[in-house]
Amino acid sequence: MVLVALLLSPFVLAWTLLAGTSVIALLATARFMMPNVLIEPPRKFKIGPASDYDLGTVATKLVAQFGVWIVHTDQYRGKNLIYALASVCTHLGCTPSWLAGEQKFKCPCHGSGFYITGINFEGPAPRPLERVGIRLSEDGMLEVDKSIKFQEEMGQWIDPASYYEVVG
Amino acid sequence: MSIGEYIRDSQIWKSIFRHPAPYDRRNRVVVMLTNFFLHLHPVSVKKQGIALSYTWCMGGITFFLFLVETVTGVLLMFYYRPTLEWAYNDILALRDVTTLGIMREIHRWAAHAMVITVWLHMYRVFLTGSYKPPREFNWVVGVLLLVLTLLLSFTGYLLPWDQLAIWAITVGSNMARATPFLGHEGPGAQILNLGGFDLITNASDARFILLGGRFVGENTLNRFYILHCVAIPLVVAGLIAIHFWRVRKDGGISQPL
Amino acid sequence: MDPHPDLTPEVIRGLGWLYLLLAAMNALWTWREVKRHVSAGSIAGWAVFTTLLFLVGVAHVTGGAEPEQFLIRMPEWFKSRVDQLAKPTTYFTGSLLLFVAVIWLREWLVKPTVAWVLLNLAVLFMCLSLTDYDFRQIVGKPDNVPIVSMLFIVGFFTWLYFRRAVDNDQRIAAGRPLFEQEDNDKILVWPDLVYTEMICMIALTAILVVWGVVLQAPLEDPASAVRTPNPSKAPWYFLGLQEMLVYYDPWMAGVVLPSIILVGLMALPYIDFNKKGNGYYTFNERKFSIITFLFGFIPLWIGLIILGTFLRGPNWNFFGIYEFWDVHKLENLNNVNLSELVWVDTLKQPLPVASAGASEWQKILAILLRESVGLVLVAVYLFVLPPLMAMTIFRRFFVRMGFLRYMVFANLVLFMACLPIKMVLRWAFRLKYIVAIPEWFFNI
Repeated sequence: MVLVALLLSPFVLAWTLLAGTSVIALLATARFMMPNVLIEPPRKFKIGPASDYDLGTVATKLVAQFGVWIVHTDQYRGKNLIYALASVCTHLGCTPSWLAGEQKFKCPCHGSGFYITGINFEGPAPRPLERVGIRLSEDGMLEVDKSIKFQEEMGQWIDPASYYEVVG
Repeated sequence: MSIGEYIRDSQIWKSIFRHPAPYDRRNRVVVMLTNFFLHLHPVSVKKQGIALSYTWCMGGITFFLFLVETVTGVLLMFYYRPTLEWAYNDILALRDVTTLGIMREIHRWAAHAMVITVWLHMYRVFLTGSYKPPREFNWVVGVLLLVLTLLLSFTGYLLPWDQLAIWAITVGSNMARATPFLGHEGPGAQILNLGGFDLITNASDARFILLGGRFVGENTLNRFYILHCVAIPLVVAGLIAIHFWRVRKDGGISQPL
Repeated sequence: MDPHPDLTPEVIRGLGWLYLLLAAMNALWTWREVKRHVSAGSIAGWAVFTTLLFLVGVAHVTGGAEPEQFLIRMPEWFKSRVDQLAKPTTYFTGSLLLFVAVIWLREWLVKPTVAWVLLNLAVLFMCLSLTDYDFRQIVGKPDNVPIVSMLFIVGFFTWLYFRRAVDNDQRIAAGRPLFEQEDNDKILVWPDLVYTEMICMIALTAILVVWGVVLQAPLEDPASAVRTPNPSKAPWYFLGLQEMLVYYDPWMAGVVLPSIILVGLMALPYIDFNKKGNGYYTFNERKFSIITFLFGFIPLWIGLIILGTFLRGPNWNFFGIYEFWDVHKLENLNNVNLSELVWVDTLKQPLPVASAGASEWQKILAILLRESVGLVLVAVYLFVLPPLMAMTIFRRFFVRMGFLRYMVFANLVLFMACLPIKMVLRWAFRLKYIVAIPEWFFNI
């Protein structure tokens, strides 16, 4: 009873109200700092037909504009796949480089290394590179969708939206 | 009557400095009390309290470097535009075209020096035990000033918009992605969702607020510019005032009791 | 493989001026020795040394025509030896030994002659090393100049501290008044302090202007979001944090540990209950706090900055100071998690995983089971060690600090120790993470 009376006293109520309002104002300010309009490259783009990408290669031509590698390999679970890896190191977000000679992605910032599959095997990176969405669009071109991502360690690479399987 | 005496006898001089020149003991006391800039100091101090081998002068040097940074920084602002189109070119122009473009060199070197002197100031204050009662809280203010000095330097690092700048900031700010709960790759961020809708994504986390985007871009440049030139200096100036005021109120520079 | 140009006449002439500067400093020192009436042998020794330096300096300034034939340079065997030894392990062991040695030998080190000899050795080492191309590439970078000077400055002030502290400790032991209490009358701020300040400001302005004219601030290629330079380094004062990233995940190394450093620094005056040592230099009266702080500041903070600036090269590999920064240098970085060591190596069974159709809770349980050893270890470290230490090594502290103060203190000490501990674990067992839950971004 005493406790309830204390909690309902004008003093406590007023200060609680003030504190609550202040927290809301703080959150609102944080929201103000998040821009709604971003001038960034499109998240969805066509990358040409699957035949442009030879088996066992990593296409680096899209890194500059869109920040993805297009990988065509059969090393991930033995399937013949084309998929798009985001060119962002999972350690601290530098852009790794594809070293064709050593068949690995190597990050210059802290030396993380990833296989052609995107799986991390050396250095401090805690998890594999992320795949982004890829699909065959109606006009026969491959289309990459960067707004969705697939993480291997979450078991998301089995999602068919994360790869395009080359048949034949 | 010499020229010096003539000037000091004029109405203008007397209206500014309301006492004779500080040649005798009395006027040396008066000058400290009546001058706005000098009244930060006490009138007299213990001899060992101002010995360079005791104080290392590092706090004073840091403050002076802050003033140097303010002056050179304001001058640089006349030539620098924080946009992707112009930032790098304006720095190039400062180097190659502008008369006295070494203002940028002075600004950068003084910034490096300020980081070192502020560390050494902390080092000295620790080694003489000057954080002990009654000066505990002023040490806390000092730690805040040290952090803000590092942040000032960090935000300034991006402004030339060269390779060194954006990658240093990319590496530095990427740690914010991993902030517990507030970064989209930090532990605990996954818990913060409302009915399957993630509250913390790469477009709503701590790093997004800092950069104003998903990566270091034009918004980031503008944000860091504002932080560097306006927001942080204002806070620093306020804290410096408190820091100095407390040095006086807590009994001046620490001395054996 | 020697793809770089070696010595150029400009470098040799520059070094000549450095030698001449050192000769001039030693001439002053010899003069000081003469005035102090030390033994004739010692004075003669310093005089000969000064003359030698002078001759070497003149030879550099005048004889730079055939730089490749120039004789005074760091011997190759020394360079290759140093590069062979260059590993993170040797670096940290070395800096730790040096740290202990400085504290142990402080009464000997604070003698002016010892310090002067050490300074001479340091400058000579710099001069000789600068004949090496790769060393010049790192040390000569404009942004690294303040760091090199910081080494000398921090060294000097640490020496100055120990000199004053040793002196005061001897005074306290002999019952004499402290140095700071002698000759300590009140003096007027005008002119004694005001003029010191003014001279200081003028000198600083002059230094900054000369520095700005002589050394151009670096400006690299325009920013490009695609080409990440190799190596990419954070600003130099954050390199200690970047080095921690080798051992800890970003959320620990970049967020939690820095916050704890700051909170720890702010909490320091409230933890240190020792009333002595306020307002004068002393070592013996505050041994514990001084050693802890020095350990955090010199080997950990400054030491890691040096490591990050001068010894970390492409791909964040470790390079010797005379080693060519080879982008293709391979270093074995295959590290294993504790869970793998426990389940795969010791218990000879695969890591526990939830079966295909498992519910959310079963998945969580599987992860917790997989990392159980690591989680228990961390919990013991954070929750069992503080009371244990309160009963043993920190008993005296606990009694004087009280519960809350002691817990803050113990946790700060444990967090400070967690960096060296993880380093040793990495070197000894190639351990990557103690707790590895990438699913939740939770790696320790």
